[in-house]
Amino acid sequence: MLKLKVINHVLSVGQIDVLGVSSASMLQVGDTDFVNLYSMFDTPPESVIVGPLAPFPLPQNARQSLGESKIESDEDDD
Amino acid sequence: MMINHPFNESYPIRTAKLGTLYIISASQAAAVQIGDRGSTNAKLFALAVQRRADHKTSGDVFFESYRIFDRPLPVLSDPEYENGDMIQIERIHCSPYITVGRIKIIATGSSASIQIGNSMRYTAESRIKHIRQYPRPRPVPPVN
Repeated sequence: MLKLKVINHVLSVGQIDVLGVSSASMLQVGDTDFVNLYSMFDTPPESVIVGPLAPFPLPQNARQSLGESKIESDEDDD
Repeated sequence: MMINHPFNESYPIRTAKLGTLYIISASQAAAVQIGDRGSTNAKLFALAVQRRADHKTSGDVFFESYRIFDRPLPVLSDPEYENGDMIQIERIHCSPYITVGRIKIIATGSSASIQIGNSMRYTAESRIKHIRQYPRPRPVPPVN
């Protein structure tokens, strides 16, 4: 038999600043009995497919699209 | 029952006290709750494909193609529990409140949970697969 005794003294926090909470994660002010968090993340080197695909044409009206300066420079490379 | 500890008072449940909660964005199945919750079962399956071509040209992708989405979850082995020995937890709360002045969150999303209050069971699962798909670079002609 395992006995666990927890004594919670006063808990008082001034400010919590968080940039982002995402991907099935949690932020809690309070008590919880059980927490189970699983995360699987896969970005192996094999996930890069340099395929037998021909260079794709640019999307229609790509040159007119605002804030997409990369499109033009990419095309020049080709 | 509580003989050995020097604290005369123990509160059965703590209450969260929060001054300000400031959230700019809560998106994509995010949960923001002020209050108690019994159990949570949050899941996120994501297939992030970065491509040179648009998805109309290069076709759909399917969750079924990747093992990560049906792989079983790892099992936490706890021999004490499996032997039938329960873990006895005794909690003593010296203060009836958890106080926080201000919480500022810029963004929350993707099955995340923000909770001000107590909860019993929280289970969350996130499976993310990243794929980058590029055309083969053209061979460069040799310089004479």
